Amino acid sequence: MSEIVERAALPLAQTATSRRPIGLLLVAMPVLLVIWLVIWPAINAISRTVWRTDVNGNAGFDLSSYAFFFSDTYSLGNLAVTLWTTLVCAVLLLVISLPIALYLRFSRGRLPAYVQALAILPMFVPSIILAFAFIRVLGPNGMLDILLNALGLPKIRTPYLTPWGPVIGLVWDNTPLTVLILLSGLGGVANQAIEAARDVGANAIRVFWHIILPRISNSILVALSFSVLGIFSSFTLPYLLGPASPEMLGPFMQRTLRDVQDPIGAMTQAVVAFGFCILFGLFYVRSVARNRGNR
Amino acid sequence: MTTLAPAHPRIDWSGMVLALLLTLVIVGPLLVVATWAFTEVWRYPNIIPQQFGFRFWGQTLGRPDVWNALILSLRLSTVVTLLSALICLPAAYAFARMTFPGRDILFFSFLAGHAFPKFGLLVAIAAIFLQLDLIGTFWGVVLIQLVGTLMFMIWIPVAAFQAVDRRMEEAARDVGAGPLRVFWSITLPQAGPTIAAALLLSFVGTFYETEGAWLIGAPGIRTMPILMISYINNQMVIQYGAVLSVLLWVPSFIALMFARRIIGGGAFARGFGG
Repeated sequence: MSEIVERAALPLAQTATSRRPIGLLLVAMPVLLVIWLVIWPAINAISRTVWRTDVNGNAGFDLSSYAFFFSDTYSLGNLAVTLWTTLVCAVLLLVISLPIALYLRFSRGRLPAYVQALAILPMFVPSIILAFAFIRVLGPNGMLDILLNALGLPKIRTPYLTPWGPVIGLVWDNTPLTVLILLSGLGGVANQAIEAARDVGANAIRVFWHIILPRISNSILVALSFSVLGIFSSFTLPYLLGPASPEMLGPFMQRTLRDVQDPIGAMTQAVVAFGFCILFGLFYVRSVARNRGNR
Repeated sequence: MTTLAPAHPRIDWSGMVLALLLTLVIVGPLLVVATWAFTEVWRYPNIIPQQFGFRFWGQTLGRPDVWNALILSLRLSTVVTLLSALICLPAAYAFARMTFPGRDILFFSFLAGHAFPKFGLLVAIAAIFLQLDLIGTFWGVVLIQLVGTLMFMIWIPVAAFQAVDRRMEEAARDVGAGPLRVFWSITLPQAGPTIAAALLLSFVGTFYETEGAWLIGAPGIRTMPILMISYINNQMVIQYGAVLSVLLWVPSFIALMFARRIIGGGAFARGFGG
């Protein structure tokens, strides 16, 4: 952590002039808001789920809500479908975004500009509109069924309300940022390195494997961390496109909190989600901080 | 990767395949929604609607729940953006121009929200709001959406203030301009466009924010996205949702393209750690 702060301190310090505590006063409000509405809720969720008051009014260390979560087949099924969705999405995102990013990195002209514009477009489409479009295209009697029928082919088995529904929606939604992050990483791959490898007879696959991949592995990890954090606890798309049971953790937490009115249960699920994502979260924050500091 | 600097012009097959596929999967669904918005009758299995028309525009715009949601959403986004500007812009200026104890740690503290899976954090916040009786209230939703704008509204303006040419400020001060005058005439015009883009981003982002509004606001607060959710879940008339999608999406798209031009695509990716 100190390494990040040191590196980050440089560009900030160069622009600073006045050394007055009034700065602290100016930044106090947003910082307090972060403490109250980010750091405190996280601590509160952990402490209230492990330090609980029992029926007799005695407070004490108590992991029973976690014991329940990890022994309840319904909760475990939801966790399993969440992990499955996250994994499948991460793999699909890489398989789709990497070729697009590679193509964009090594091409110039109108066609690549068009491809880039399209690849970024989903970033500007809100998830609810995406969900609506998904149902109209892939839902029962949707556009795809219409077209298949016109060609005399059988209808598809619609992914709507199956675990594949959220997968398709989430991949659609997360492709732009994955492409942008990978593209930014590919920007650091020097043309000379590739040309040198070409000159000694390396083919495209070997250039990719030995020259490009090692240089963008960090960007790949950043892109994966970012999408894992978003997908693991996504709510809107699984809620609208996924099955009612098993459901992903996002809709599950929402139902536990608002419909079942069990805050302890919902916080337990949230803490479980924190636990599964902590490594990705720390890695992501470290990368952004380092990136920002180097500017 | 096979298209590395071609010595002679040749057909860009990989580009054509990518362009075709992306057009199909990205523009295709949006076109279908747009078509539905201008459709009066479209029965399966016709490839194109039997009857086009604007009838459902009138019907959708005549619905009181649409107007209530629209007004509420605009009010929410305005309040959140103004509050966010009020507390974030002075902070951004301080981060860019002043030194004070703990500055770097505080600067990066805005990343804390991004270390958690987002909806998990929202649930943890909602559990606190339950005790404070903020669930189902306007200000509960304002607070939760305000947190979502913090990082954007601080980091982008900090970059803007840092990019201002300090020599021009010093020159103005040398000829006798006061600090406020310098800020108003030199600093603000240079940092202004980027700050405006940040404001726009936070307004549009708040307008479409669904998860916090749904988790904290239901059932009392029905914003536009939440109305859309109920149209998707239990509205037989498909066109209502389609009209709303077109109506809402086009202005936000124009606004975002504008914002992106000012901030720049590269900065966009870097902001996300790329």
